[in-house]
Amino acid sequence: MNSDITTSDGSGAQVSGAKPSLKNRLSALLDGRGLFKTHELVTIGLFAAGSRAASLTVALVGGGMNPVTMIIRSAVHSALLLVLLAKVPRTGALTMATLVGGLLSFFLLGQAMMTLPMVIIVTALTEVFIKVLGGLERRPNLGILAIIISELLTRVINIALGLVTFREQPGLIIMVAFISAFSYLGIILGLFGGKKMIKELRHAGLIA
Amino acid sequence: MPGLSRKFRSSATNRLNLAPETRLLLTFLASLFSLIFSSGLSLGILALVSAVYMLLEVRPKAVIIVYLAFAVMAAIALSCLKIISLFVPVMREQPLSAAFLPFVRMSISLNVILPLALNSKLSELANTLGRLKFPGIIKLPLIITIRFIPTFFNDLQLLREAVAIRFRGLSGPLFWLRHPLLLWRVFFMPLVVRLIRSADDLAIAAELKGLSASTDFGGGKILLANSDKIALCLTTISISMAYMAGQLSAL
Repeated sequence: MNSDITTSDGSGAQVSGAKPSLKNRLSALLDGRGLFKTHELVTIGLFAAGSRAASLTVALVGGGMNPVTMIIRSAVHSALLLVLLAKVPRTGALTMATLVGGLLSFFLLGQAMMTLPMVIIVTALTEVFIKVLGGLERRPNLGILAIIISELLTRVINIALGLVTFREQPGLIIMVAFISAFSYLGIILGLFGGKKMIKELRHAGLIA
Repeated sequence: MPGLSRKFRSSATNRLNLAPETRLLLTFLASLFSLIFSSGLSLGILALVSAVYMLLEVRPKAVIIVYLAFAVMAAIALSCLKIISLFVPVMREQPLSAAFLPFVRMSISLNVILPLALNSKLSELANTLGRLKFPGIIKLPLIITIRFIPTFFNDLQLLREAVAIRFRGLSGPLFWLRHPLLLWRVFFMPLVVRLIRSADDLAIAAELKGLSASTDFGGGKILLANSDKIALCLTTISISMAYMAGQLSAL
């Protein structure tokens, strides 16, 4: 169904029966035609924004940076990711969500400018691993594993960036390590909450 | 995020009238070079230049609030370090100047991030995204999401009011910190339901409008005004000055 739409906008090589040129195929791949449907892309985007906005609200309500706020923030983040993976159970959904969320905070806040490329690579590798294990399409429960692995690797990258920033005073890395540990605890707790939430949302008929 | 920028929106008075692309590029360059440079002199030059840029763009009140928070965080970090160094003697042999370099580095990124975070308008941003040469698969969710953010903050506000009515007199930060599970139940669960419904609505609307990953969102060509060109020139000059200063101090 998707290919019917895309052939009308210039890449109509398939219609005439000729082999699509390399350039056309490359641009189709870059544009992601056929990779995701429009409604999946919209869902991914909204969840990425929702997770950023909700964690900002938690930070404002909970009074800035303290361990409890940090745990709640990451719990919200991971629960939303899990619900997203239940709603869009496809390989690439997690990477897209990370990419869109990262770019959002990059454009709005200038946040995570240095770590984003690495985080994307790591998340994509996690998804390849999940694909090898069977893929989200066939085994939706693997979403939990995907989030556990990718968030752990993300924290490793954050600590590595901290080591570069604090290279004159390596002891300061302990602060980064503490923050990462607390937020990772929140991620794990959020997975439990997210699992329960998926059950309720299924019951309510909001996700398939 | 816009919640933050809305709070200080009226405070952005002395704006340099830079294009969003220029601001993004400045932020990126400053973050990158603050990581690369390691001599105190070059970091100092970068910190000075970025502080000037921030003071021109952001009202002093916001700067003071953010820097107070930064100072508190730095104090906590340094005192933690002191406590650790009592037990691990290796860390004690550090010159005083080295202890401050990480904070200089962090303040450089803070200086460039603040103007970006407090001055960017959502509509401007959506236009910028249309202009930049991103693959459609990234552009589509980003643009729809950016347009959706104000609605979502409105939803959040409604939810907060509903919670405030239901728990009259109880809803302070301390109450919620003591009852995180209740917060989950009354605040987060409705939020997710709301999010899923908006996602469905917007997705149907987008498909009916014929939007797809190959849609051209327009936005025009990238135009650099004189202020942008001057800002980029000054950035290049100050980065090269910082580099030369670092080389000189290493001699």
